[in-house]
Amino acid sequence: MLAYVGRRALLAVFTVWAISVLSFVIIQLPPGDYVTSYIAQMASMGSVVSDEEAQALRIQYGLGQPIYVQYLKWMKQVVVGNFGMSMEWRRPVTEVIGERLWMTVIVSVAALLLTWTLALPIGIYSAVRQYSPGDYVATFIGFIGLAVPNFLLALVLLYLGFVFFSAHIGGLFSPELQDAPWSFERAWDLAKHLPIPALILGLAGTAQQVRIMRANLLDELRKPYVVTARAKGLSELRTILKYPVRMALNPFASTIGYTLPYIVSGSIIVSLVLGLPTVGPLLLKALIAQDMFLAGTIVLLLGLMTVIGTLISDILLVWIDPRIRLEQT
Amino acid sequence: MTTRWSRLTAVLAVILLSGAVAVGALAQSAGKSSLIGKLEGPEVVTDAGKAPKVFKEAPQLAALVKAGKLPPVAERIGQDPLVIKPLKEIGKYGGALRAGFTGPADFWNGFRCCSGPDHLMFWDYTGDKAVPNLAKGLEMQDNGRVWLVHLRRGMKWSDGKPFTADDFVFWFEDIYRNKDLVPTPTAVMAINGKQGVIEKVDTYTVRFKFPEPYFMFPDVLAGSTDLAGQWGGYRGMGGFAPAHYLKQFLPKYVNQAELDKKAKDAKFDSWVRYFLNRNDWAVNPDLPVLSPWKTVTPINTPTWTLERNPYSVFVDTAGNQLPYMDKVVLTLAENLEVLNLRAIAGEYDYASRHVDLGKLPVFIENQQKGNYKVYLDPGDYCDLIIKFNLNYDADAEIAKWLNTADFRRALSLGIDRDQINETFWLGTGTPGSVVPVDSNKYNPGPQYRKLWATLDIKKANEMLDKIGLAKKDAEGYRLRSDGKGRLRIEIMTLGGQFVQYTQISEMIREQWKKIGIDLKVQEVERSLAIQRAVANEQQLSAWNNDGSEHLFTFPTHVFPFTVDDVTTSGPLYAKWFRSGGTQGKEPEPRMKELMEKWKKAFSVPEKERVQLGKEVWKIAAEEVYVIGVVGQGPAAMGVRVVKNNMGNIPSRMYNSPDGKTPGISRPATFYYK
Repeated sequence: MLAYVGRRALLAVFTVWAISVLSFVIIQLPPGDYVTSYIAQMASMGSVVSDEEAQALRIQYGLGQPIYVQYLKWMKQVVVGNFGMSMEWRRPVTEVIGERLWMTVIVSVAALLLTWTLALPIGIYSAVRQYSPGDYVATFIGFIGLAVPNFLLALVLLYLGFVFFSAHIGGLFSPELQDAPWSFERAWDLAKHLPIPALILGLAGTAQQVRIMRANLLDELRKPYVVTARAKGLSELRTILKYPVRMALNPFASTIGYTLPYIVSGSIIVSLVLGLPTVGPLLLKALIAQDMFLAGTIVLLLGLMTVIGTLISDILLVWIDPRIRLEQT
Repeated sequence: MTTRWSRLTAVLAVILLSGAVAVGALAQSAGKSSLIGKLEGPEVVTDAGKAPKVFKEAPQLAALVKAGKLPPVAERIGQDPLVIKPLKEIGKYGGALRAGFTGPADFWNGFRCCSGPDHLMFWDYTGDKAVPNLAKGLEMQDNGRVWLVHLRRGMKWSDGKPFTADDFVFWFEDIYRNKDLVPTPTAVMAINGKQGVIEKVDTYTVRFKFPEPYFMFPDVLAGSTDLAGQWGGYRGMGGFAPAHYLKQFLPKYVNQAELDKKAKDAKFDSWVRYFLNRNDWAVNPDLPVLSPWKTVTPINTPTWTLERNPYSVFVDTAGNQLPYMDKVVLTLAENLEVLNLRAIAGEYDYASRHVDLGKLPVFIENQQKGNYKVYLDPGDYCDLIIKFNLNYDADAEIAKWLNTADFRRALSLGIDRDQINETFWLGTGTPGSVVPVDSNKYNPGPQYRKLWATLDIKKANEMLDKIGLAKKDAEGYRLRSDGKGRLRIEIMTLGGQFVQYTQISEMIREQWKKIGIDLKVQEVERSLAIQRAVANEQQLSAWNNDGSEHLFTFPTHVFPFTVDDVTTSGPLYAKWFRSGGTQGKEPEPRMKELMEKWKKAFSVPEKERVQLGKEVWKIAAEEVYVIGVVGQGPAAMGVRVVKNNMGNIPSRMYNSPDGKTPGISRPATFYYK
């Protein structure tokens, strides 16, 4: 077991390095560089960057150097924990991401919790009571949830909120508490703003998980060990929760690999629409502005989380599913 | 495939637009006239005899003075205050202005509202005349070769240190001439390519000396140029800089090793980037400034907050130190839709920068609910132009036509400007050529508005037939003269801009079918647009010519002037012009004449310059290097949404990058009733 974990961890480090190279190269692929996108941005706001200024900027940012030189320079800083300076934000990358990372985690974890607390009971219910009216209602809502793009839902809720409740538009805080230090009042304000983004983000996931849970559990329910458990006189609730549900949970464990990066990046479009101060809009802007160090760091972070997530789910699966054997026989 | 897509978009656009037109018509009946008011604004009082002698200040500053934490107000302002006569009345102190911004690249937002502006000279509210601003006066000597800037006695930086001629010399010697900080000198410090110098005469007098007459100098100080205050600080420009503060970041004055360490501790890879960061008005709250407000939480945080500068030299005619409002709070909007929705909901006290003209009906509908009023500030320029790239050479046939004046003119005659105006400007624009508004001093005359700029399909067809494009294919499109099939030209557009370039170009595509021209609309990503411009791969491109009403400080959309730009009318000509004829390609005679006239204007007195300006516009309109479509509309930052309880708000203001609008209306005089 220990050797297995060690081997996986070593592979993970190599994967992260490969991701760092790839992310840097991909960010460099589109035409132009930070300076061209800066010129375009200034132009669209009604001002012109002189040719002299453009040249000066390229020299100062070192954009004229070959790509591998730029990469090595960046890596040299990264290994000591300095991810460089964001060109657009003119602040260290770690600071720019740092303050938004926590907001992202809060929003995404809220969405995940909502997904799981809704999806598991509904999934179990609609499997056990297959083809009952309750199952049909859950299935119907589930398919709608899957089919509606969540940004559209965000737009609709935003509009309804504006027309009927004159609610504060977008964001996670009321304007007066935006920059206030943390206090009970500010936390409560955040809690009040959280349900809508969490609901929007969680809905598609919920629908999906309900379907998965239902399908898995249906497979298990027909197996002989369930019949045996019933025959031995276990209560219905206990029978179902203790044996088939446990087996049906496998897919949940194996999706943790995707869940971790989702916590950081899952909310990109919804965050844009709702104006949430999360990492998503930051990544999008960084890519458009070709702010290499910022975009590179976020992509690297996402890669790292995928790798760690996969590692965790591999280990978790071995642990909860005794059918998985490490040694090849 | 592309064609099918563009057709589909065209159809979609038409469906969406017919809806917009219906609402627009409604909005119009509500009155275009009631939305566009009289041009008005505050004025600088230059007569020293009329300046107030006794000064008053905001209550919280008075409290600080009482507590002994701040010198008395008269001492802080100095002997020669900058007196501004508010538009309507003397205001009241207090309140915070709530507005939105879109991120660290939106720094113009804050400069436009809150920097004063801190130019030595600045425009009067008509945007026509440069008047003294931070400078008390400007004196010309030696037939325009020498300019003396007279500073205000006792004027101070926001940290209470005196603002003197030393700050100019410091900027010139230690920043501008430092090759690490400013690798390439700016064109505005030079005349005919020859650089000038800055010298100290005495504490309050600065001398700008140039090798040749530089009559444009006052306009250069007034416009948004490299010599116009601290907005250029982040790239080492400005004309002056706080010497007492910035010296600690220069190797000349401190130990290099210590400075490197300081830069490294702040995570900068060199002292150069560190210095420029410290000299950034929007980023560094410690930087001493001269503006009425100063940054307290920087632009790279979720809220960009600016607070009153206790040493502000701006006062009203009753002697109240400006600004009236305590704070300006700009909150980050992650996208433009959220920003617009917040403005519609009345969450901003003032918005104009990112307000979308297409949403005008919604803004008007919610005026009462949001407790705001909508004003329109049409620009003096053209909101939609089409540039011909005169240097295009990838296809000799197309290059030939782009360089044929009658081809360009015929294309211009083939555009139905009224239809475009009604659809996209809701009828608020003015159809016409590229020339600026009739009241502009460089406008060559009313007849040039319509020159080659009316719908005349018959004439356009005749002209195209005559120049050798008479043969058509079965679908009615004109054939190339080299026998290689249909003549197809391409227009490049960008999405997500103030003006809907792509959708309008689709409409022009439909209109040009009637003159047998097959236009392909190509929307591209913005970095790609610049690359194509620089690589000389653009044929036609759609943009606006905002700023060009100040022909001499902002010529880039009038003739090929900038190489690195989103849209181009000839990158090789621009190179030729910038290099003094050593690089690039020599322009054709009429273009060369235009360029020479423009250049000459810098070194002649104003009367002659105005004449040259008119001639430049004449050539531009006659040769149609650039097609003007619809202009003088409010599309670019011209839809203004202001809360009803704000005072001293002009019913119409001059709208231009050079006027730092709304800076031209002096937001320091805005107040809460």
